[in-house]
Amino acid sequence: MAWQGPRAWLVTVAALAAGSMVGAGGAALRATLTPWQIGELAPVVGDVPADAPRAEVPETRHEFGTIGTGTEGSHRFAIRNTGGGPLTLSRGHSSCTCTVSDFEGAEQGSAEATKVVPAGETAFVTVTWKGKPPGGPFRQQVTVLTDDPRRPEIALVVEGAVVPTWRAVPESIALANLSASGGQQASATIYTYGPESPVVKGVTIDHPQAAEFFSLATAPLSAEEIAAETGATGGFRIEVTIRPGLPLGRLRQTISAEFAMPEDVMVEVPLEGNVGGDLVLAGPGWDSSRQALVLGTVSGKSGLRTRIFITAKGPHRDRIRPTVEETVPQSLQVTVGPGSPVGTGGAVRIPLDIVIPPGSRGANHICSEQGPAGRIVLATGHPDSPTLSIPVCVAIGP
Amino acid sequence: MPARSFALPVLVVAGCLIACVAAATMPDRGAGVADGVVETFLERNGAVFGDWPKPKAVLVFTGELDGYIEPCGCTGKENQKGGLSRRQNFLRAFKAAGWEAVPVDLGGQVKRFGKQTEAKFQSIVDGIRGMKYAAVGFGPGDLRLPAEELVAAVAPIGDEPTPYVSANVGLLGLDANITPRFRVVEAGGLKIGLTTVLGDAEAAQIRNDDIEVVPAAKALAPVAAELAKAGCDHQVLLCFAKPEETKALAAAFPQFDIVATAGGADEPPRELPTLPGGARLVELGHKGMFAVAVGFFADAAAPVRSQRVPLDARWGEASEMIDLLANYQQKLETLGLDGLGLAPIRHPSGRRFAGSAACEECHQEAYDVWKDSPHATALATLEEARPRRDGDPECLSCHVVGWAPQRFEPFEGGFAGMAKTPHLAHQGCENCHGPAAAHTAVERGDVRATEAERDRLRAELVLSLDTPEGKEKAINNCLECHDLDNSPKFDFDEYWPSVAH
Repeated sequence: MAWQGPRAWLVTVAALAAGSMVGAGGAALRATLTPWQIGELAPVVGDVPADAPRAEVPETRHEFGTIGTGTEGSHRFAIRNTGGGPLTLSRGHSSCTCTVSDFEGAEQGSAEATKVVPAGETAFVTVTWKGKPPGGPFRQQVTVLTDDPRRPEIALVVEGAVVPTWRAVPESIALANLSASGGQQASATIYTYGPESPVVKGVTIDHPQAAEFFSLATAPLSAEEIAAETGATGGFRIEVTIRPGLPLGRLRQTISAEFAMPEDVMVEVPLEGNVGGDLVLAGPGWDSSRQALVLGTVSGKSGLRTRIFITAKGPHRDRIRPTVEETVPQSLQVTVGPGSPVGTGGAVRIPLDIVIPPGSRGANHICSEQGPAGRIVLATGHPDSPTLSIPVCVAIGP
Repeated sequence: MPARSFALPVLVVAGCLIACVAAATMPDRGAGVADGVVETFLERNGAVFGDWPKPKAVLVFTGELDGYIEPCGCTGKENQKGGLSRRQNFLRAFKAAGWEAVPVDLGGQVKRFGKQTEAKFQSIVDGIRGMKYAAVGFGPGDLRLPAEELVAAVAPIGDEPTPYVSANVGLLGLDANITPRFRVVEAGGLKIGLTTVLGDAEAAQIRNDDIEVVPAAKALAPVAAELAKAGCDHQVLLCFAKPEETKALAAAFPQFDIVATAGGADEPPRELPTLPGGARLVELGHKGMFAVAVGFFADAAAPVRSQRVPLDARWGEASEMIDLLANYQQKLETLGLDGLGLAPIRHPSGRRFAGSAACEECHQEAYDVWKDSPHATALATLEEARPRRDGDPECLSCHVVGWAPQRFEPFEGGFAGMAKTPHLAHQGCENCHGPAAAHTAVERGDVRATEAERDRLRAELVLSLDTPEGKEKAINNCLECHDLDNSPKFDFDEYWPSVAH
């Protein structure tokens, strides 16, 4: 680059300096922080004039403990000026869901948005948090900006937990793949947080025509179970037993539990799930919305190797022994592996190793008009579903 | 000019120049985001990485997205934090700054159940793959989904490995090996061991026969032994459990120097607490609104630093994630309410809806107030959004007549699309007063009713603010939609005058 003279150089420096102000978020000077401090406004390191203000905060964090929904918790933070000159305070950024007062002196009632605190005096700021449903732990932060060069920013944090009147855990019961021929058990726990223990008055399911498939019961929680939930003072468990025979498709019920504590409360816990057959396919390439194994375009030169699984459920799950009856295209080779229980044994997983060997002939079964779906046909050994035909979308290229 | 007064400006300029060079390497905004936007959010949510020198590598923690693939736009999306699009741009800012970032996610992408949640989970995982995550764990909401859907989303695609890692969760069983138990990555010359677990209390909520969950401590023992042999500079445990359970696992496996937990407060703390065994505890807040960056430095005095990062508008939007959201919305549109399995549920009153126009015939004054309010154009805001959201039940439920707002499901006779039920578009009268089809039919003389029946139907639709019970009922009704997510500053007494009738 050709030398353009000192004037151009100064302009460049000025521009860079301006850029640094933007990039650094407007902070004037910065210094290295100690480990684990976050890099917000950092103090100036070096000599500070004797007449500089000094902000001292006895506590920067307040723990509210538990507060009920609809109730408010407030805390008054003190900021003392122990320096030699007046200290100017103003509000910095803060979490939006807490209320922050203006600055007050020792006497409450004369609040100011920006406060000049004379040396030796103390200002106060009050942070108020209103407990809102659904409850749970909270942490809110307020920042106060100061002209103390050692402490340009003070973070004030309030923490605690909002406890609702009651809470269902889980909020809804989900039964992902419920076998129509198998049963299932599930439960939801209702924790209560009031002074009175809940008295259960009844538990029902919303569709009476489905009631024959469901048994409902309640049981009180043990002292240990209650103690394990922060702030809970009582509770009960809703136990659901689902009998075999539910119709296939989406399951959507609502369990309603009425209890007194002492006011009457009605809790609704949705019960959701999919009721399916005893044999479910899963694995890379299995498209449940198309109900097809989508292998895409495969190079005939290099071939393909993949594995999918049949999961068998219901009372016959241990007797399922699939054997291959047919594959289209014929070059598709399927090997059925041994079944093994999943987790606690409610399902048995059977691997299907699928291979298109290198050097396979071209074929078009891409699931289109020109290329109708291929298939893998298995004899399952299931008394009610003796054959399982799996559509396969694949094109074998050169 | 005296020498001293000349030296000072030179030093200041030099200092600014040095700071400028440092600032240029700090990821403080998304590409192309204007200074004004950055300054607004600096002021609102604080600066980030202010004093960091360039680290050897940065671990970027995210998690507990809770289904918030994007922040809700009800109060202006720019006012909300979170979303995959900003996250992508945030991660890009590291690359632009020349910092090596390793993104990891605690899990908990979704909370609900059903076809929409399955579609959302798939989209989120597609986004995570695009962001090249090194490790992602499972949350209990994720594991409520059918295993075949989880496997389809999570399994390796060709040569691309799964981003998921879990020591104790096995889709279709641990030995199906759909996901690895741990992973070791290298970044900035550091070897970092990563694993995740689902806490035992969270696992107890899952009823899914196709998923194996081994108690966390039992599953971690062999994984920890493998990681110990791998010669890692740092070992990281992502634990989807409440903090108490996470702390117990951290104490049992002190080799992990960074441990992330679920179940914390809504915002992460400013500084990472140090656990008794020396590990630093990472909390992420809720709904994916924050990321937490942990940087590793070649500085003996400050080898590790952390920064919580609000994912606000300073990070801008990533075009790939906008496309991903559009595809997700398109998928919902294609599936339709039937395909999403949203069979209408019975309204507690058992009654049907008439539409707001029917109210105008007798309640002109009240209707005029409604017509001039944003409620009367609520659906238009979804239609005009880009991508449009009028096929999204999670949005529709508060923008039309006749849906259960917090269940995201239509009531029988509620809005079923503009083609079938245009009279039920927008947030109308009956969402507060109740379904009015029987009332309007009687008043019009379409059906015969006794005077007593007519009066009863009228009375059922009265929502009075004159009694404490009536007012409480009205407020609770408003809160169904004006909730913390969508209307965080809602205050009935403040809002009511603008729609008083």
